[in-house]
Amino acid sequence: MRSTRIAVYLLVTVLTAIYLLPLLVVALNSLRTTQEIFANGMIGLPRALSFGNFADAWSGLCIAEHCTGIRSYMLNSFLMTLPATILSTFFGALLGYAISLWRFRGDLWVFGLITLGVFLPEQMKLVPWVLVLRDLGLYNSVGGLILIHVVQGISFTTLFCRNYYIGIPPELVKAARIDGAGFFRIFWRIVLPLSPPILIVTIIWQFTGIWNEYLYGVTFASGEHQPVTAALIALAVTVSEAPQYGVQSAAVLIAAAPTLFVYLLGGKYFMRGLTAGAVK
Amino acid sequence: MTPIRRRSLLAASGTALLSQAAPRLARAEGKPRVTVITQWSAGSDGAAITALGDLFTKAGGDWQHNPVPGFTTDMMNKLRAQILSGDPPAVSQLKGPEIAAWSKIAPTVNLDADVAAAGYEKVVAPELIKLHKPFGHWISLPLQVYRINSIWISRKAADKVGVTALPKTWAEYNAIGEKMAKAGIQPVANGGTKWDNGMIWEIALSGISPAAYRKAVMELDAATLRGPEVLAAFEQTRKMSLWMDPNTASQHYSTFIPKFMKGDAGMLLMGGWVQGVYKKAGYQYSDYMTGPAPQDNGRPAFDLNADAFIFWQRKEPEFTAGQHLLAKLVMEKDTQKMYSGITGSLPVRTDMDLSDPAFSDAQREASASLGAAVKDDQAVLSLAHNMAQPNQITAAMIDVLTEFVTDHSITPQKGQARLAEAVDNVR
Amino acid sequence: MTGVRRRLDAALPLLAIWVPVLISIVYVVGFTLYTVWISFTPSTLLPDYGWVGLRNYSAILATRNWQIAANNMAIYGFCFLLLTTALGLSLAVLIDQKLRGENVFRTIFLYPLAVSFVVTGVVWGWLLNPGIGIQKLVVGLGWTDFRFDWLVDRDRALYCIVLAGAWQASGFAMALFLAGLRSVDADLMKAAQIDGAGPLRTYRRVILPSIWPIFIAVFVILLQFAIKTFDLAMALTGGGPGIATVLPSIVVYDFMFQRGLLGRGSAAAVLLLLMLLAVLLPYAVFRRWQHVRNARNA
Repeated sequence: MRSTRIAVYLLVTVLTAIYLLPLLVVALNSLRTTQEIFANGMIGLPRALSFGNFADAWSGLCIAEHCTGIRSYMLNSFLMTLPATILSTFFGALLGYAISLWRFRGDLWVFGLITLGVFLPEQMKLVPWVLVLRDLGLYNSVGGLILIHVVQGISFTTLFCRNYYIGIPPELVKAARIDGAGFFRIFWRIVLPLSPPILIVTIIWQFTGIWNEYLYGVTFASGEHQPVTAALIALAVTVSEAPQYGVQSAAVLIAAAPTLFVYLLGGKYFMRGLTAGAVK
Repeated sequence: MTPIRRRSLLAASGTALLSQAAPRLARAEGKPRVTVITQWSAGSDGAAITALGDLFTKAGGDWQHNPVPGFTTDMMNKLRAQILSGDPPAVSQLKGPEIAAWSKIAPTVNLDADVAAAGYEKVVAPELIKLHKPFGHWISLPLQVYRINSIWISRKAADKVGVTALPKTWAEYNAIGEKMAKAGIQPVANGGTKWDNGMIWEIALSGISPAAYRKAVMELDAATLRGPEVLAAFEQTRKMSLWMDPNTASQHYSTFIPKFMKGDAGMLLMGGWVQGVYKKAGYQYSDYMTGPAPQDNGRPAFDLNADAFIFWQRKEPEFTAGQHLLAKLVMEKDTQKMYSGITGSLPVRTDMDLSDPAFSDAQREASASLGAAVKDDQAVLSLAHNMAQPNQITAAMIDVLTEFVTDHSITPQKGQARLAEAVDNVR
Repeated sequence: MTGVRRRLDAALPLLAIWVPVLISIVYVVGFTLYTVWISFTPSTLLPDYGWVGLRNYSAILATRNWQIAANNMAIYGFCFLLLTTALGLSLAVLIDQKLRGENVFRTIFLYPLAVSFVVTGVVWGWLLNPGIGIQKLVVGLGWTDFRFDWLVDRDRALYCIVLAGAWQASGFAMALFLAGLRSVDADLMKAAQIDGAGPLRTYRRVILPSIWPIFIAVFVILLQFAIKTFDLAMALTGGGPGIATVLPSIVVYDFMFQRGLLGRGSAAAVLLLLMLLAVLLPYAVFRRWQHVRNARNA
């Protein structure tokens, strides 16, 4: 059995090396200047460590006139992602609870329709969103982006939460109703306290999804109000010019830090929540 | 509601209304203003547009630039969204036949008066004028010009095979290619992006016969598309595709700059912006030779790519003032000198003196060839850079061309037939 | 006051449920119907509310772009789902062995989902490029015959997207499977051990069948990933070499936005949704059959 143990550890180590490979490339490139990358090839060890990329990325980077680095774009991303994550998680929990524990006529149809939302491709939703935001007067504002991400997020969060709440014994809810508790009281007092695992799952899922989103962030925000994904693209994609790989790699690491942080923090709960959130 | 509460509510809303109106009042009697949407967010393009903004501000205007990072498509998405929501920018980047297409969906500004005042029409290439006066009057202004049909040869590679002069005809190009291939050098250093694939075909065709290019690509003449010059272009492109690095995949040409500079790849067919790219990557003029791409008929031809600003109609007087101010600035010699100096492009005006050290020899040579090509009626519009046709036709043609370059089993005859067919389908 | 209060108490939950539900349903149904509508119009740069019948559909179906994309979707969808599920399951089984440092391993396998797809696509583009990445490295280490040039091969480049996609999503599949493995009934495990079954047989005969519902869940979530694959594919191959690796989402983007043909692009989007329906409907029917069977057996 000892040999199988060693084999298992070996296999896992090899796999982690493969999984880490792209991150390693990015990390190495963040320590090389763009010039050195062009001189010696896209993948390689740094000839001389240059930490200037991080400083450049954080505060010196220029997106046309706005030379504030990605610092201000990170702030924009937070302003958009945090409220959208919290709101979509809240509504997901509420709706999941209503559909699974409170039951009403047609609840499974409703659930099915809402869940279909996770399959809609982004491109086809762009023009309708422009029209909706225009009519609501929210075009080109953080509020508009938050609305988009909340509405789209509800499809996912309801799916996760409803599948989790199905596991809560309905007797709990029945007993509380007999005692005279109403919809919201049961939610606050009974359901929410049982929810942390699934709430962590939805928070992690939503946070990473919204943080890394690019199409809507670029179309529905302007100039210095754009999210950090826009800043990353500015460094990467050009038609004729060459991307600034050194600074871009540093910027990518900085931009990925919040999501990685959320993963590390919530990792354990993620597992526990997925146990119940997806098994049904 | 109690009387007191009602009064304070009224007072509060009154103040709110006033505070909304106050800045508008202040702006109305204030400076000329423009809101600008472009995709130029980084690199020399970003620097140039920022410098233009500074000029505008110095001239007394209020400059609000919204750079949309990403490809041109993302910028157009933003433009589309702004127009749909009733808030078009005062000025936006647009080029080629798209100017005509987009001007049909939202009203534009008539710039005839500004152009006449600056005497601009006399110093712009006629091919460009057609694009910016799609319905009889000026609605947009070209900002900078690039020559697509330029060739760049690695000095180290050239030394290895004893090449000292640029190839003047495609036969000479092929001879150099064969010498390099025998010496183990990759003759063609182009990349694998779609537009790059389409571009080498168009450089071949415009080099073989600018007249055929004009008829086939710009006028979509069915007979010429199936004719011998286009077939020759396909054959040249097939030769070049076999000389390309098999590992290009969809890599940008800049990925292979190290290889080019080391002398392991020899010749690059690419527009004039490459000069800036090489400079930024840390290389000197002495590391490469550059000039016009091979021209079989010996007379200068110019494959045009030009960026432009389109001016969208706005009711507010400060926007109108800002648009006229920007129009005036963009047409001035000094502005164009500054802009092209930063990006490495060519000024639009054909009457510019580029002897200033800010410009390179390559730019001077290219600018002179623009004037000469215009006089000789050999100035054509680029297909791969969306100048010759609207995007839907361009995309269909580029798809055929990129397939041809990457799939070596397609014969030049078949490639030509496919191109003609694709054009017929989208005509 | 109590009457009003009670009515409020009754009304509030209805509001709290129905307002978001209605918004959500209007979003899903409304946006889909809008797209279907636009697909029947001559819309180009902006929506144009005319009518052209099925012309957009016949035009899109006639393009090589769509034909290649539909074919690729079938291959990619199948391979991606298979590989990611297999990887996820294998990783879960490995980690289930009560390894030390399980937290670290788990986070490493989950992290690909946390990083922007655009960037990871570009990096995989370098790694999978024979002249720049893995092949160059291995050949440089001495194994000169090594070939890993799928990315530049028209017939195999699609599988590179499968690889990159599996790398990205397998961590999530792993997490789902691991959770399932850990929640297997302990009595079942003991019974199998008493029967003398080795670890492999235990897994095959006992554990895997009992986490059957998780396979379904993984398939559904991964299906959603596959349909929406866009950023990764664009960054990795750009649809190339040539147009060999275009996927339906790329065709939608290309026709809607790059070519400024909203009508055609919407037709492509509707076709994509129809392809999706072709996969979901059997699943829904299967679940209904399961439900009915369980009810009958109960």
